[in-house]
Amino acid sequence: MIAVFYFGLFAMSFDFISGYTGYLSFGHAAFYGTGGYFVVLVASGKIPLLPAGTPFMVSLLLAGVLAALLAVLIGTVSFRLSGVYFAMITLGFAQVLYVLMRDWDYLGSNPRDGVSVSNDLHPEGFEIGVPFVDQLSFAIGPLRGDELELLFLDFGATEVSYYMVGVVVLVCYLAMQRMVHSPFGRVLVAIRENEERARAVGYDTFRYKLAAFAASGFFAGIAGGLFAGYRRSVTPDNSLYFLVSGDALLASIIGGFGTLAGPLYGRLFDRTVREFLSKTGGGGGLLPLLREYVPTSVLDTPVLNGMTVGQGIETFLNGHAALYLGVVFVVFVLYVPGGLLGSVRDRLGGTVAKRLPDYLANLRR
Amino acid sequence: MTGLPVAAFTDPTTLFELFVSGLAKASLYAMMALGLTLIFGLLGVLNFAHGSLTMLGAYLAGVVMVTFTGSAPALLLFLVAAIVAGVFVGGVGAAMEVGLIRRLYDRPPIYQILLTFGVTLVIDELARIVVLFYGVQPTADWRTATQTKPVSMGESLDVLGASVGNLELFQIAWGVLTVAAVWAFLNRTRYGLVVRAGTEDDEMAAALGIDVRRVFTVVFALGAALAGVAGALLMWDSVWGASVPLASETLLPAFVVVIVGGLGSFRGSVLAALLVGMVDAVMTHVFDLGIVTFSGLSELTIFLILVGVLVVRPQGISGLAEVGGH
Repeated sequence: MIAVFYFGLFAMSFDFISGYTGYLSFGHAAFYGTGGYFVVLVASGKIPLLPAGTPFMVSLLLAGVLAALLAVLIGTVSFRLSGVYFAMITLGFAQVLYVLMRDWDYLGSNPRDGVSVSNDLHPEGFEIGVPFVDQLSFAIGPLRGDELELLFLDFGATEVSYYMVGVVVLVCYLAMQRMVHSPFGRVLVAIRENEERARAVGYDTFRYKLAAFAASGFFAGIAGGLFAGYRRSVTPDNSLYFLVSGDALLASIIGGFGTLAGPLYGRLFDRTVREFLSKTGGGGGLLPLLREYVPTSVLDTPVLNGMTVGQGIETFLNGHAALYLGVVFVVFVLYVPGGLLGSVRDRLGGTVAKRLPDYLANLRR
Repeated sequence: MTGLPVAAFTDPTTLFELFVSGLAKASLYAMMALGLTLIFGLLGVLNFAHGSLTMLGAYLAGVVMVTFTGSAPALLLFLVAAIVAGVFVGGVGAAMEVGLIRRLYDRPPIYQILLTFGVTLVIDELARIVVLFYGVQPTADWRTATQTKPVSMGESLDVLGASVGNLELFQIAWGVLTVAAVWAFLNRTRYGLVVRAGTEDDEMAAALGIDVRRVFTVVFALGAALAGVAGALLMWDSVWGASVPLASETLLPAFVVVIVGGLGSFRGSVLAALLVGMVDAVMTHVFDLGIVTFSGLSELTIFLILVGVLVVRPQGISGLAEVGGH
């Protein structure tokens, strides 16, 4: 579930630029990966001037800033283009970075496998909270991190990680929310709807786009930093590869393109389907369920070339969530352009928070 | 650092060998990108599923060759395999156009990218399932299985003191033939005229009584078929082979070629394929000499070409000046 948070944040930052300005940034993984790599490299002491002991929050923030700078650089070149060309040039930049990080042997003996934080340097998990104030910082990480007793509540290490990552994501979400609903955000939507008109009204659209791109890069960097900080490792394929941008795209489309919170729900949906269709995982899932309830006689019935029903289920369900997600994705692109959240908003006639009370009151009457 | 780098480039035999291997790579790139260009030129759809179609073609051709191996000379069998792959993948493309993409022409172009991206996910995962079920992977098995190329292909010819691989010659011949065939189709046939008319201005073409919708379907099928044939050719190459990740491995270079050439420009794509192929060959050579120890060198330079060209000349080598404003 923590994965929903950090990747949800990345998907949100992607939606922030692509959903609001209409510029499909297909190389957004570049910023996510930058954040992730930066945090891990700082923790390994491989970045000059930053010792391995730099507080996680500081390196996270710096990761965001670095990603934003990169976004400015890429944006300055890329925003001269639009449409398909913009998508392609951002993809090109991201791939350059991907190949660089994949084959740069400074990062480690085998850069293809990515880099990780050694347990000697950081036996504890990274801490999220106020830097240098121990009481207000909590370590995160899988199978590690702080446990916390608060009043009568007991939080295990996983739960603490969950809430702490969640807090960062929430803060970022609120910040983006603020930007989207400011005059700045209105200009972005104006650019999406009709860029020439926005320019004619007197806005320097290039600067607005660039600023939005930088902000989006910043939050993508934070998301990548969180991801790497939680996982304690990062590989080129799970951070910089263009299919990572594709995953963000998937989450945005399913959740609702151009609705800031939508990608989070999209990612939740994505993870749920994946979890549901995987053999492992704590949440049960379809496969064990079928194994338990479908009688053996049915399972052993041959269907095709000696493939039994049981084998068929194994073959088609186990770990192949991408297939079904792809189908869902295509259906959404075709028939539900607003995505999950967008459609709900359309039904309610406004944002959920504003409309839901009225709607429920109507139902009650 | 081994030897003298300069000498390695001024030696005429080396240069000639480099040139030939560059040409061979260029034909592979051209094969990957031709279908994509065709589709984008007429329909304005950047087909993200193109790589997946190529991958399908590679597997299909592989299956044909493995099943019937020994029943006919390998070269003849390859021809059959390529045709089978082309026809089948072309059919998939036609189904895609009619079933899915047709609904999206009046939406912003981004939606078509999104849609074909979704199709990619589906095709790749389906392929993965089938491959898993029939146990054709791990790659080692399948790679040897697809080494159905005749022994003579592995040998090399002696041309003026330089050694030239037979496979490279075959790739060049195949690439040139395909390019020539597509060129002839576009410029020498009546239907090609219709297609070009549609590319220039589809509304006008429709007004002249051409059934543009059918032309769209045919071109999409043709583009997909080219992807399938490209897959068949790639299957024989030792660098590429048939595997599920082939989908994204070929998609990206194909994009580079198409964009660098200028989206939708046939001539530009061929030129760009030549450029990319030559640069790839030179960079591979530089790496082989050990001048640069960065193993991702040739891949990196390919993307640098993309970025560089888009910065200097956004419309590509021979694209139209105002295409950028979608």
